[in-house]
Amino acid sequence: MLHGLYQGIFNGLASGLIYILVALGLTLLFSILGILNFAHGEIYMLGAYVVYYACVGAHINFFWSLLMSAFALGIFGILLERFVFRQIRGDMEPAVLACIGLTVLLQTVAVIAFGTYLKYIPSIFPGILKLGGLRLSKDRLLVMGIALVFTSALLFVISKTKIGKAMLAISHDAEAAALQGINVNRISGITMGIGCALAAVAGGLMGSLLQLAPYMGTFAMTKGIAVIILGGIGSVPGAVIGGFILGLVDGLAPLFTSGTISAIIGFSVIVLILLIKPKGLLGHD
Amino acid sequence: MTRSVVSGRKHLREEAHGGSASFGGNLGLAVLIVIVFLLPWVLRSRDYYVIVLILCAINVMLAGSFRLIASVGQMSMGTMAFAGIGGYTSAILMMKLSLPFWAAFPLAGLASTAVAAAVAFPFVRVMGIYFAMLTLFFGEIVRLIMSEWGSMTGGSTGLLNIPSIGILSFAGMSIDFGHLLPYSYFVLVIMFLTLAIFYRIDRSRLGTMLPAIERDEGVSASVGINVIKYKVTTFCLGSFFIGLAGSLYAHHLRVLNPDTFGLFPSIYILIYTVTGGRKRFPGPIIGAVVLTVVPEASRVLKEYQPLIFVVVLFLVLFFMRDGLVSLPGKIAARIRTPREGRAANA
Repeated sequence: MLHGLYQGIFNGLASGLIYILVALGLTLLFSILGILNFAHGEIYMLGAYVVYYACVGAHINFFWSLLMSAFALGIFGILLERFVFRQIRGDMEPAVLACIGLTVLLQTVAVIAFGTYLKYIPSIFPGILKLGGLRLSKDRLLVMGIALVFTSALLFVISKTKIGKAMLAISHDAEAAALQGINVNRISGITMGIGCALAAVAGGLMGSLLQLAPYMGTFAMTKGIAVIILGGIGSVPGAVIGGFILGLVDGLAPLFTSGTISAIIGFSVIVLILLIKPKGLLGHD
Repeated sequence: MTRSVVSGRKHLREEAHGGSASFGGNLGLAVLIVIVFLLPWVLRSRDYYVIVLILCAINVMLAGSFRLIASVGQMSMGTMAFAGIGGYTSAILMMKLSLPFWAAFPLAGLASTAVAAAVAFPFVRVMGIYFAMLTLFFGEIVRLIMSEWGSMTGGSTGLLNIPSIGILSFAGMSIDFGHLLPYSYFVLVIMFLTLAIFYRIDRSRLGTMLPAIERDEGVSASVGINVIKYKVTTFCLGSFFIGLAGSLYAHHLRVLNPDTFGLFPSIYILIYTVTGGRKRFPGPIIGAVVLTVVPEASRVLKEYQPLIFVVVLFLVLFFMRDGLVSLPGKIAARIRTPREGRAANA
């Protein structure tokens, strides 16, 4: 039992770190543009496919594939911001229209281009690490390491660099930030690019652990939204903490009850948080 | 100065134009209703067309109800959860308790309303995007319960062999509503009754209060509008008709599956309404019909078919922010402007 508990915690941390990568993009975009990007899961899906085709198709090393995918989807994100999201800043109804349009578009493109068959990225780092009776798959350890590196890099960018400070300023008050000489449009584009790059990395990592399908994004999107609600929409540290909480719940709940029941409990907790403290556990304002 | 006078005159003219349109509109509306009622008869040789017509009518009901709920600024992303509650209620009542449809149908609406009323008071205090997410997760919970509660709902396979709504006899005539054509008439009648009620609400005092609440809750409350009361009322009333629509859907398909009531179908109802134009009464009707018919008509495109839907969405997004309903006005303005420009120059 105790053994299973540790195993659950280990698996939970691994998926938690991936959720964090997805949620960071969502939360950044929400705080800068005021848009909840329902198409974020589709960026994640595309990211996974780029990694797959680079890795399996072109036999490029997994790490380079991951970076390529992050770069490609980052550029895609910047273009999306420039031509779609910038026009609808903070406007909920057109934003939903745009995001659902993008979701359907990207899913359809994925179905046509990649087919509906499940695809697998071969294990990067096969084998199992035995640690005092615990069996930790090296794959998951590696995924956790990579996710941790990207998350810390983002946290560093946000807290220490000028761009990060500009993002913070815009999230507090876009108009005042513009008056201070911050180029709001440029920062929005960068934010969207970073968010999409992180989602692509998350997709690639999840794709290497599980499998790829054109509709894999919906799952990631729901998890991402759940995470940012837990942590407070727009809060970066909140997304990190929320990601760990949701990951642990997902890792541990199956030990005690069926998958559906644990999902019902998880969503009920989120509904309760929205009712009692809509800005999330760590929300400000 | 002159500019403001000109624009003021233009505004007056538009108002006068609107007045004459509504006078001629009554006749036009009557003609439209007659045409809609003739449609199933005209299309009866092809079952498929009648099925699409039924789907249109159900989606119109759903989008209309969504508009009512959204008129106070509550964008629900859990619409289909309430349709699911209605659909499962009437199906289960008929299958397990063998109630007649005429009892199960209103109960489906009431069940949906009851659930809405149970959650409304805490829900309506949550605003904006938070309300959207709240209803999104509530909808997911409802869907998961449907697939978990196997003994009642048939689990993730769903309910099979749902009975048809049965035979109604009066004055020596008996009509079997299990057949497609009579059923389509039944659905159309319910749809028009629903729309008539929504129209009455839209043109009543309530219809002016609800957008005021959306614009500014604080100011609305300060002039004596009971904001919470009206938000709860619209949420429950809208859910009643959503429940009825769900029931119509269940007895049309004769099978129910939790996935029918998931997240994306709910968001689609929002899309129908916004695409048609949420601010005006015909908006959701036009949106629901266009976005039901256009994808059906483009089935020949096979896997490229969803792209048509995307094209409509992006056209609305970039060129018609007020929805498809604003299209005739836009065209009229485009035709009228050059002539006015000449008049101003002369």
